[in-house]
Amino acid sequence: MSIEIKGLLLGLAVAFGLLGVTFGLAPLLQPKKVPEGKREQQASAVSGTSTDVLQGEAKRGYSLFDHSCAPCHGDDARGDEGPSLYDLAKSDARIATIIKGGVKGEMPSFAKKFSDADVQAIIAYLRTLKD
Amino acid sequence: MDNSLWVKMHGGTTHFPIALVMASALFDLAGLVVPENVGRSRRAGFRAAGFYTLILGALGSIGAVLSGLVISRGQLWGRGNLAHHHTFLWPAFGLLTSLAVWRLVVGNHASNHTFRIYLGIAFITAALMGAAGYFGGELLLNG
Repeated sequence: MSIEIKGLLLGLAVAFGLLGVTFGLAPLLQPKKVPEGKREQQASAVSGTSTDVLQGEAKRGYSLFDHSCAPCHGDDARGDEGPSLYDLAKSDARIATIIKGGVKGEMPSFAKKFSDADVQAIIAYLRTLKD
Repeated sequence: MDNSLWVKMHGGTTHFPIALVMASALFDLAGLVVPENVGRSRRAGFRAAGFYTLILGALGSIGAVLSGLVISRGQLWGRGNLAHHHTFLWPAFGLLTSLAVWRLVVGNHASNHTFRIYLGIAFITAALMGAAGYFGGELLLNG
C-alpha cells in the first residue's frame, strides 16, 4: 500500500473520529427537553399559543420567528441563549426598536433582514405568547 | 463558565482556520506554479508554508468547533442561517482534518498528480470554510 493511500485512510479515519466525537458530545450540551406530552399539555393550557391556531399576521410572524429568532430564543420562545419572550411588558414600538436595532453585545440588528411589515408580523406573534 | 466567554472565543478562533486554510491552498498553488529554474528552495518554502498553515488551521478548527458547539448548546444543525452555517461547516471540518492528517503522513512524498488532486480538494475546503464563515457572520450580525 502506498504512503498516499495510507495517508488517505488515516485522514478519513481521524476526520470521521473527530466528527463522531463532536456529534457524540452535542447531546450532552443540549438543554433538557420538555417531554412531548407535557409540551402538548402546556400548549393546550395556553390560549392561542399553539402554532396550529395562529392566523394571519401572527402565523406569518411565527414563520419569521421560527427561521430567525428561534435559534436564540428557543423553539417555543421560552428562552434559550436569549430570554423568554412570553408576556412581554414592552410596547410594540419598543419591541420593534429592539428587533431592528438589536442589543449591543447580545442580539444582532435585524434592520436589513426584516421590513416594517415583517417586524409587525413578529410582534403579532409575540403578543400571542401568554402564560 | 460565562457563556459570553465562549462567544468571544468562537469569534476569535473561527477566523484562524478560515484564513489559514485559504493561505495554505494559495501557498501550495504558488509552490506548484513556481518554475523549476527559479529555485527549488523557493518551491520547498511555499510547500512548507502551505503545510504549516494547514496544520495550524486544522488545530484551530478544533477550538472553533468546540466553542461553537457550546454557544449553540449542542445544536448540530439548527434553523435559518445556523443551518446554512452547519451545512458548510461539517463537510469543511471533515475535509480539513483529513487533509491535515494526509499531509502529516505523506510529507513530501506525494506524486505531482496526487498533489494536484490534494490542492483541488484544499481549495474546495477553503471555499466551504469561507461559506461557513459567511453564514456564521450573518448569524451574528444580521440574525
